[in-house]
Amino acid sequence: MSEQVADAPQDSPRPDDHEAGAGRDPLSMLFQPGAWRLERRLHTRPVYELYATLIALAITAVIIGLLVIIVGVSPLDAFASLYEGAFGNRESALETLVQATPLILTGLCAAIAFRAGVWNIGGQGQFIAGAIGTWWVYDTFPGLPAPVLFVAMFCGAAVFGAVWATVASVLLVRYGTNEILTTVMLNFVIDSGLSWLLSGPWQANDTPYSQTERMVESTFLPRFFDDSRLHLGFALALVMAAVIHFLVRRTTLGFELRAIGVNKQAASYKGVSVGAAIIAVMAISGALAGLAGAGELLGLHHRINFEFGGQAVGFTGIIVALVARLHPAGVIVVAIAFAGLLNGATQMQVGTGIPAALVDVIEGVALVLVLLAAVACRYRLRKIAHHG
Amino acid sequence: MADAAESGAAAPGENILVAEEVTKVFPGVVANDAVNVEIRRAEIHCLLGENGAGKTTLADILYGVYQPDDGRVLLEGKPLELHSPRDAIEAGIGMVHQHFELVPPMSVIENVVIGTQARQWLDLTEARRRLEEFFADYDVEIDPEAEVGRLSVGEQQWVEIFKTLYFGVEILILDEPTAVLTPQGIEELFRILRRMRDEGLTIILITHKLKEVMDLSDRVTVLRRGKVVGTVDTADVDQRDLARMMVGRDVLMQADKAASEAGEPVLEVDEIHLESDTGRGSLEGLSITVGSGEIVGVAGVSGNGQNALFDAVVGVRHPASGSIRIAGQDTTESAPHRIATLGVASVPADRIAQGLMMDFSVKENLVLGNQRERQFSRAGILNRGQIDAFAAESIDSFEIKTPSASQITRTLSGGNLQKIIMARELSGQPQLIVAHQPTRGLDIAATEYVRRRLIQERDRGAGVLLMSEDLDEIFQLSDRIAVIYDGRIVAVTEPDATTLEQIGMHMAGASDTDQGSQ
Repeated sequence: MSEQVADAPQDSPRPDDHEAGAGRDPLSMLFQPGAWRLERRLHTRPVYELYATLIALAITAVIIGLLVIIVGVSPLDAFASLYEGAFGNRESALETLVQATPLILTGLCAAIAFRAGVWNIGGQGQFIAGAIGTWWVYDTFPGLPAPVLFVAMFCGAAVFGAVWATVASVLLVRYGTNEILTTVMLNFVIDSGLSWLLSGPWQANDTPYSQTERMVESTFLPRFFDDSRLHLGFALALVMAAVIHFLVRRTTLGFELRAIGVNKQAASYKGVSVGAAIIAVMAISGALAGLAGAGELLGLHHRINFEFGGQAVGFTGIIVALVARLHPAGVIVVAIAFAGLLNGATQMQVGTGIPAALVDVIEGVALVLVLLAAVACRYRLRKIAHHG
Repeated sequence: MADAAESGAAAPGENILVAEEVTKVFPGVVANDAVNVEIRRAEIHCLLGENGAGKTTLADILYGVYQPDDGRVLLEGKPLELHSPRDAIEAGIGMVHQHFELVPPMSVIENVVIGTQARQWLDLTEARRRLEEFFADYDVEIDPEAEVGRLSVGEQQWVEIFKTLYFGVEILILDEPTAVLTPQGIEELFRILRRMRDEGLTIILITHKLKEVMDLSDRVTVLRRGKVVGTVDTADVDQRDLARMMVGRDVLMQADKAASEAGEPVLEVDEIHLESDTGRGSLEGLSITVGSGEIVGVAGVSGNGQNALFDAVVGVRHPASGSIRIAGQDTTESAPHRIATLGVASVPADRIAQGLMMDFSVKENLVLGNQRERQFSRAGILNRGQIDAFAAESIDSFEIKTPSASQITRTLSGGNLQKIIMARELSGQPQLIVAHQPTRGLDIAATEYVRRRLIQERDRGAGVLLMSEDLDEIFQLSDRIAVIYDGRIVAVTEPDATTLEQIGMHMAGASDTDQGSQ
């Protein structure tokens, strides 16, 4: 050991130009305990991350409980009615799955992009693009037989979503434009584009409203039960989660996109085309959000109007992905939990008078705490010998 | 500065800052190993050593960036406990890093007063008065209102130095301050540093350039591999002595190497020019040839173009002019994966940043770059069975110490990290191996292992381009030695036809005529 020489520490970006000392750690500089020291763990066991996430969610519940007390309601009553509305009976549980369907897909959209270190904040716009693509196929090829039309509409949705995401990825790869900015701005662009379509070329003849005509019933996605809106889109979302899991873990593309997410420099030294990988992952990401748009249109709404996308599932998907720590299976769980919150909030409002908007607070607090937990996992407190 | 000089109560010449048995360990490496250094008041004290010798780590400890794992720091005889640079500044110790900590869109004055204002409002008039006085006093022409981002790098350095002095420090640490300067700028800096020293400021200067040490310093402490080799009065030594101390005469081990005849050229680099992406170490018409079955060692101090040469050969960056041929094919503009398919293995200098995915498993790193090979995947789907089998075999044959092939790479030691890279790169029986600092930071056993493997590859018929700052390594492994300086190969020779000192002089930029005069 004593013969070893100084090498750059873990995080140093270019140690060839400077010696050990580059990787300064803001967190350990922030905390300056005398006898205890916060230091980085080399490796965190995955089970710790799970515990940390659960602890974070428990703290979220406590904080929300305190908020509820301030409003003057018993937290137990509030949580009970929230749960009742979300999963309390067959009807509400199935409705929760209905709401979870787009969140699973937009959650996957964010998760796979973030895995590759590409910050796609444009899930919302790609979701709209997917609905536009669906309608375009429906509108353009009315004569197609039903099964072919379904496939074509979903493909249209995926392609439109992918293309919309690709606008940002091409700007990133070609010109180094920050993808966070471009994807966010493209959300606004497609919103305006949709408004134009709805009040112009695609406006239904029979109404004064800015909306498309209602789609013919043969294009409605099949539903699983007579008494619920739960449609085939939910199954599609589960399948996509499995597909994404397989893609990330078992394919060369997944290997490469994880590589650029971990270390772009080493990836390029080992011959991975970083630009091509970014283009690919953004296209996949956008396609997933596009599929969510198709599912909502064909499974629930059957027409596009101003309300479409009003739930902002594209943005909620980002929170879902982050709370799920970018794991596809986690995305399913978190999407269902968040959908339950949305669904139960109405019941809670009716039953206890707590505004349904509390759900937004819950999501926000959960996100912050889970992310904090994720960071905290990378450190440990160690007692050190005292000098001087 | 005047402030600094007047506040010093003790007389010049006695110890002001002392590091006692300071030890600092980073995961896998001992950056400082029981280091003892005594800095005297009002002297210019150089910390000299190769890259990775632990100079900057030591300075960062003196400046409170790191806390020592063992040992202590004494200021004027009293133990000094620093938890952050802020503590150091309050104790009168300032440091200017290689990478400036300035706010580019703000003016010179604003940059200087950042962090100095105890009161609620900004008193820029006082700052301006002192700044103008300082610049006038030292003949530095910088407009205090200028936006820092628009100043030249040399001017920005002045702002950094003055910013530090503005805190009223008595000890100023400069980390490789000349790296960014022109020869004229260096001369000016040295002139002013000497004057500051005469006015009572204590200056610690980190460098690996022998000439600067001789020109400027009163005393010099040489570090090698995390340990202090010795502290000497500059007047008592010459560049040759320092070079010897820096690179170390004691040979770690004798590589067992048979003579070898170079075959057909596998790498022909002809007159390439390549701008550096970091502002240091561009290539200025570099030419070098490596034949099959020979090891060409490139000796040089870091920052003289080694990074750029490595990048150009493996295809990460493309030269602006000149050509590169590998195994007879023009690869000047080829992408890295294309070059890899020609049978080129690369061992980068920074194995963590450039060679490995620290958050991947060991087996994933063992196939990194080859994931699309038929051996490891079909139709884009990874063949886990083959990957596991290959990983098990590599771990076995390269003696990689890991609990399992699925272990996260981050948890492994430096030597094992390098073995992962070696196993991966040598698996395809490469024709050309480009190795940059392949043994830096490794312990003796791992160092020996890596060197033995390189010699084996040479004996198998591969050409090896070995870039290293470790002259022992260059001498032991090379069939031919080339010296890189300022983006060019300035000398090519054979190990038997030269000496460590001669190569060291070339590395330090001294021409043959300089040597003759000594």
